[in-house]
Amino acid sequence: MPMRGLYLLLSPRFLGCKNALFSSGRGLKKRALIVTTVGIAFWGLMFALSSRVLTYFQSVEVIGDVLAHHLLAMVLLTFFSLLIFSHIVTALSNLYLSADLEMCHGSPAHLEEVFLSRSVFTLVDSSWMVVVFGLPIMMAYAYVYRPGPAYYISLIHMGLATTVIAGGIGILFTMILVSIFPAQRTKDIVILLSIFVVISLYFMFRFLRPERLVDPDAFFSVMQYLSALKAPDSLFLPTHWVTETLWAFLTRSRGGEPLFNGTLIWSTALAVVVINLWTARVLYFTGFSKSQEAKRRRGGRNILDFFLNLIKRPMGDDLASIVEKDIRTFFRDNTQWSQLLLLGALVVVYLYNFSVLPLDKSPIRLEFLQNEIAFLNMGLAGFVLSAISVRFIFPAVSSEGGAFWILQSSPLSIRRFLWGKLAFYIFPMLILGELLIVITNFLLDVTPFMMFLSSITIFMAVFGIVSLGIGLGAIYPKFKHENIAQVATGFGGVLYMIFSAIFIALIIVLEAGPVYIIFMSNVRGAQITLLQWLFIVLSFMAVALINAFAVYKPMKMGFQALSEYE
Amino acid sequence: MIRLVHLTKLYKGLRAVDRIDLEVKEGVIFGFLGPNGAGRTTTIKMMAGVMKPTSGQIIINGMELSRSPSEVKRSVGFIPDRPYLYEKLSGMEFLRFLGGLYRLDHSSSLESRILELLELFDLTHWGDELIESYSHGMKQRLVMCGALLHRPKVLIIDEPMVGLDPRGARLVKDIFTTRARQGTTIFMSTHSLEVAQEVCREIAIIQAGKIIATGTPEDLNREAGVGGNLERTFLRLTEGERLAHERPLSSS
Repeated sequence: MPMRGLYLLLSPRFLGCKNALFSSGRGLKKRALIVTTVGIAFWGLMFALSSRVLTYFQSVEVIGDVLAHHLLAMVLLTFFSLLIFSHIVTALSNLYLSADLEMCHGSPAHLEEVFLSRSVFTLVDSSWMVVVFGLPIMMAYAYVYRPGPAYYISLIHMGLATTVIAGGIGILFTMILVSIFPAQRTKDIVILLSIFVVISLYFMFRFLRPERLVDPDAFFSVMQYLSALKAPDSLFLPTHWVTETLWAFLTRSRGGEPLFNGTLIWSTALAVVVINLWTARVLYFTGFSKSQEAKRRRGGRNILDFFLNLIKRPMGDDLASIVEKDIRTFFRDNTQWSQLLLLGALVVVYLYNFSVLPLDKSPIRLEFLQNEIAFLNMGLAGFVLSAISVRFIFPAVSSEGGAFWILQSSPLSIRRFLWGKLAFYIFPMLILGELLIVITNFLLDVTPFMMFLSSITIFMAVFGIVSLGIGLGAIYPKFKHENIAQVATGFGGVLYMIFSAIFIALIIVLEAGPVYIIFMSNVRGAQITLLQWLFIVLSFMAVALINAFAVYKPMKMGFQALSEYE
Repeated sequence: MIRLVHLTKLYKGLRAVDRIDLEVKEGVIFGFLGPNGAGRTTTIKMMAGVMKPTSGQIIINGMELSRSPSEVKRSVGFIPDRPYLYEKLSGMEFLRFLGGLYRLDHSSSLESRILELLELFDLTHWGDELIESYSHGMKQRLVMCGALLHRPKVLIIDEPMVGLDPRGARLVKDIFTTRARQGTTIFMSTHSLEVAQEVCREIAIIQAGKIIATGTPEDLNREAGVGGNLERTFLRLTEGERLAHERPLSSS
């Protein structure tokens, strides 16, 4: 198999990276700088956290090292599983769905060359997370246990081999899946699977109640339980070979059999590559060919039609059409609607957090604490709503994509289009906002005043949050996106989060004074003075004004920007 | 029916369209020709209301586009060269969506109009399929259905034949001719000189943002001093013929 072809097929990616690095504009360089800074900060945080946990473990007599060993095995196994999963997702697009594949397969390049080049892309695309998340943990082990250079050498070469094995398994699984289902359908299945995996991990982690580790009453029993747990390990798992080798170097103990394990892991990696190449000869091109077949629509009227007819009724024909189109598009795109599941999980955990708050253990008076938390919860709920808004509402304008010409050339005015989008998103956001506030207030058992105030505050803030989203989305539209999820991560999305946070913070700060006065007067049974009343009225008026401003200004600016859009 | 007055578009100092004046009468199929980068698509986009002119006026049906955009757009059907559609809607749903945008009555008349157009453009069997499964030519035909849905008085079309097979192209040419006979004004930009020669009653040639010739195909042939061949006329007027002679293909 000539390697020149492989090099050629890999070169567009290298050249693209090189060009992006050396000839990018100021904006891109600034963005790269921000991403690097955030990355380093995250890396530092992970390192600090891991080091702290490991130092803590070391201080626990008898079971400390057992815990660290178990943790290493679990971390490696988790990364190995995530790597396999990540390779399945990435392999689908790299091997079957990328736009440039037609050109590659149409070229005189060998099938193996195309397959290998795409596998390399998949490996690179899927493995960055190991460097970001895994390396700080492994460095923390090195920092705490101070091993010799053999640890680092083994970490690099065995890490690479493990990645190749995980990648090979992921790619092999993808080839088999695509040979059974068409690639488009496999993509849907994988998307749903990933969402379920993320939700399960999220629930699992949260319901384990990790906060008990810092609770002195519960700490020891939890530790004993953890050390008694048998780490999920097997002699046949590559992560076992890595764990044992690294642990031997970390603790400077004999055993670990680095040479044997090293040979074992590399021979397995090579075997996986060979098996993949054989399988690719049989399955890859057939699967690719199938992936280009048109996806047929699953017919039939459903509950969506009924729902659409219900919400379209009060709207004008033109707005009803936009809403119908948005809803249908949303529910037919699996990458879109499946995020509602994540949203549901987020809300469940948010509410669960309030149900397990150890308020009774606090030295502060319960009544104070309940209402203080309820007050701060308005800010938290506002932030959760902003996070949801940046994902769903900020991209609402950009979601028109390349089809924006249809609206531009239609009699529908941009102003009506934007207000229509706002009207559409307000209702579900109001329900969500009130749900978060009212249920958490019930769980906290707050006073009726706090219940009333927080419900009204969040009700008004939702208008500002949604208008900011629609308005900024119109000021920074990204009609040329490949994936709507990318829109939220752009400059406009970041700006939206900043403005939204400022908006919520302003409301909380302005309401803090009056709330304190009213609450304390209730507790002490004291009268509120005229001056205090004036302060209270002025503060709430300022909140109302800020809300009105947050609704009007972004919408106006959005309208102007979108009218000028070419 | 269509009048462009001193229409100008500047792109960062570049005059993409330079003080164009044009008039197209009712029921005329008007061909808008020009080499790549001459300003054809920019002019078309400005006429369709998807791009703002730097200066000048676009008057359609006696109304100025910048003053009454909604009213003008209600009487115009626009077909872009690379129509991007909502891939997750079916053909029927897309046309119903357009019906809503143009505030057509959501009744049996809209449904029957949709069915009539789908049949006209040979898409009846594809009406319930998602647009993402359509070929380029089918998408182009679907956009044409959409542009005709509200029975516009003016059709503005950028490269109508791109992606169409010979049968589709014939169908579209026939539909345009019939519509024009019924009084629809069609403003059409095209690279295909054969199409222009066959269906256009009047033609304008734009180069470097300026109109360099207007008239019937015969007028233009006469002006260029070539007999009965629009291709040679086009090349002569845009100086392509001279370039072609200076750099024959065999030397490249």
